[in-house]
Amino acid sequence: MSKNFLEIKNVDFIVSGQTKVKNVSFSIQNEGDIICLLGPSGIGKTTILRTIAGLEKIVNGSITINNKLMSSKNKHVEPEDRNISLAFQENSLFPHYNVEKNILIGTEKKSKKKKKINPKEIISFLNLKKILNKYPHEISAGEAQRASLARSLVSNPDLLLLDEPLSNVDQSFKEEIQVELKQLLSKSKITTIIVTHDSYEAFYLGSKCGIILNKQLKQFDDPYNVYHFPNSIEVVNFLNRGILIPAKVTSENSLENKDLGTIQGNFVKHYPNGADVKLLLQPEDLEHDDKSNLKLEVVDRKFRGTNFIYTLKTESNLQIPVFVHSHHIHQHEIDEKFGIKRPIHIDHIVCF
Amino acid sequence: MNSNKLNIWFLSSLLVSLLVIIPIITVSISFFEETSRYFEILKSTFLFEYILNSLLLLIGVLILTFILGVGASYLVSFYEFLGVNFFKWALILSFAIPPYIYAYSLFAFFDNYGTAFTILKTLFGEGEFNQHIPKFDGMFGLILSISFSLYAYVYILGRSSFLYQSQNLIELGKNLGFSKFKSFFFIILPASRPAIVAGLSLVAMETLAEFGAVDFFSVNTLTTGIYNAWITFDDLAFANRISFFLLLFIFILFLTEKLSRKKAKYHLDSRGGFKQKEKIKLSGINSFFAFLFCFLLFFFSFLFPLSQMVYWTIKFPENFFDVNVMNLLLNTLYLVTLSSIVLIFFALLSNYGNRVSKNKTLNFLSTLSISGYAIPGVILAVAFITFIAWFDNNIIKSLGFLSIKKIFIGSILGLIIVYFIRFYSLAFNGIKSGYEKINFSVDESAYLLGYSKRKTFFNIHIPYLRNSLLFVIILISLEIIRELPITLVLRPFNFETFATTAYISASEDMLEAAAVPSLFLILIAAFFITISSKYILKDNNE
Repeated sequence: MSKNFLEIKNVDFIVSGQTKVKNVSFSIQNEGDIICLLGPSGIGKTTILRTIAGLEKIVNGSITINNKLMSSKNKHVEPEDRNISLAFQENSLFPHYNVEKNILIGTEKKSKKKKKINPKEIISFLNLKKILNKYPHEISAGEAQRASLARSLVSNPDLLLLDEPLSNVDQSFKEEIQVELKQLLSKSKITTIIVTHDSYEAFYLGSKCGIILNKQLKQFDDPYNVYHFPNSIEVVNFLNRGILIPAKVTSENSLENKDLGTIQGNFVKHYPNGADVKLLLQPEDLEHDDKSNLKLEVVDRKFRGTNFIYTLKTESNLQIPVFVHSHHIHQHEIDEKFGIKRPIHIDHIVCF
Repeated sequence: MNSNKLNIWFLSSLLVSLLVIIPIITVSISFFEETSRYFEILKSTFLFEYILNSLLLLIGVLILTFILGVGASYLVSFYEFLGVNFFKWALILSFAIPPYIYAYSLFAFFDNYGTAFTILKTLFGEGEFNQHIPKFDGMFGLILSISFSLYAYVYILGRSSFLYQSQNLIELGKNLGFSKFKSFFFIILPASRPAIVAGLSLVAMETLAEFGAVDFFSVNTLTTGIYNAWITFDDLAFANRISFFLLLFIFILFLTEKLSRKKAKYHLDSRGGFKQKEKIKLSGINSFFAFLFCFLLFFFSFLFPLSQMVYWTIKFPENFFDVNVMNLLLNTLYLVTLSSIVLIFFALLSNYGNRVSKNKTLNFLSTLSISGYAIPGVILAVAFITFIAWFDNNIIKSLGFLSIKKIFIGSILGLIIVYFIRFYSLAFNGIKSGYEKINFSVDESAYLLGYSKRKTFFNIHIPYLRNSLLFVIILISLEIIRELPITLVLRPFNFETFATTAYISASEDMLEAAAVPSLFLILIAAFFITISSKYILKDNNE
């Protein structure tokens, strides 16, 4: 018997006869864990949620929840018998009920869980009080999404599936909801799978992140590892938080790039001396130093509030992102020169 | 999901589509069968006349309904003038007047010593007025009768399209410095083309199917040809042959409409940045002309036939007692109730089946089963009789059973079956449009909240579809009250409705006696139109 709360083993996720994601295996260890699935639009993330919920069938592998087989080639527990709640991305509120009734209908579902969820608390943190008497066609997409999320939460499911739960919610309100949602899920011990294309949301909410690309679950790991130790070039490109530059391994803890010179650090994987590799360079890997003799040309500057991301051009036309605190003493304009501290040291060297 | 468990949806859809295919197949097979010599005679003479008259009638009605329907919907949608809110609603009341009742009124008013004569005599005393009163009979009277009765199809669809025409498009016209005239012909009208063409296609199908008015004015069209071949010459096979031509006609029309529309989406949803436009306030002479156009249209399409019927009912009160109004009302209600129950039951079953099974064959069967609306009632009736006769002779009797003809022909059951074929699309599409407003994820949310499929259907679908169901019942009632050829051909002996009573009186040259049933028919239909006007003239997308 598996000790994991949720166990997905070798499942092909299929919708309308089309295989969206192949041979997926992952598990959620403890009840109350939150995991996030990241991937581009249309890749099959929603299909995974729908299949776990029982809305789609599987033809191979198995899905087990709490040691109970839910789906396999020969078995399919109907969605209404799973105690799984899915908050859809589109408006799935019952059109003839007002928002309040729509939310409270979630409480009618028989939950075996001892810990009850107070609908008032949910309504309050999702800021739904003002629209309780309105009907679904009278509210905005963001409000409908929050109401749908509320309904799923109050049903106190064994497993909560959230499909892009905050995609229509205003940016100003989003972070506040993320914080409260995380606290509530953890307090109520609701195991949750969140599908999103927003990596920041995934890294914040999930204790584990799965990256789905090219019909495969490419990586399933802690958010920190996914970010700093991506296991493939595809994951690097998808996260788009760094670039790959050519380099030659020169020793057990250094490599050499034509434009940047020597780069020191600890290799995550062993490479022989003299090997040509592609080094992952992330914005925070390089340090700004006005006095350095390594000067690169500024081609772009993005202001991100807490920081700037400079894009620097090397002699061989590589475009390197560099992170600088926004309170840095002076700013560099486009076409100016920008100094990089030498020798370059990267804590963990990721190469492909 | 679960398509293997849902055979009931499949079987019911199969049954409905088979019912609809029967008349089409019967007509097609009959076309290639031998018939009496009568066909040979007609082939060189009348058939040509039938086709020519049908074409002439079609062209005349289409031109007139286009002018009336588009004109009225343009004025009502874009301008603010005296009585506009009243006309918006009143202009659909013409649906309460079937073309045949309009024809009786038109004929009677302008007839020698008719109502017009009486009015002139009352005003100016004795005189030779008859020679100065124009006569609206034959093809011209027929075109007028059908157009004034059916223009509302173009009006309703045109209006809803004008209403949703993107504000940007109209503002673009202004921005480019177009005059109102130029904006209308180069922007507004082309943008609403699909809706107007859809309205005109409905008019075309109804015109080709029209029987009562055509018969009254003795214009030989394909429809009356079918009826006469069957009633006068007792030649079912020939009736079916003419039917084949008429079906071909309708098929070409149907195809033209589909091809002209293709996949183009002409007007954008008012949501997502497109605001509903504000009406332009008319004043002075412009306001007067807009009012006059709408008033005259309302007067000629509704008040005129209504007054004629009221006038006759008052003038000849004895007719009132000859007609057993209560009996006719009960008969009509009986047919409406039975048909509504059967139609709604199957339409709900089929729609729900399509929704939960997502089966392509089922979807195809459903599409097939709604094509019955395009088949004229007279063809359906004749084809139904042909089929039952064939089935009885070749299958039932050969198996040694007693004849089943009496069960289906001249019986309520037969009548309901053919009504079902004719009006199934009304019920199916009415419920479908209700279902389309419910996201599929609503069902799935319900399942995930622990609702069974049954509970989802009864607790989520039915309450939400309540309005659609009510609207469907009203539409069915309206159609059945006005329906003539099917009822006339298939009704049981001595079973009359308002429509058949009016027709029989009129065909026996007792137009005055047709007034009482006609008046009741108009009043009941107007009542149904009034209570459903909210749905017919919906101002928003909800």
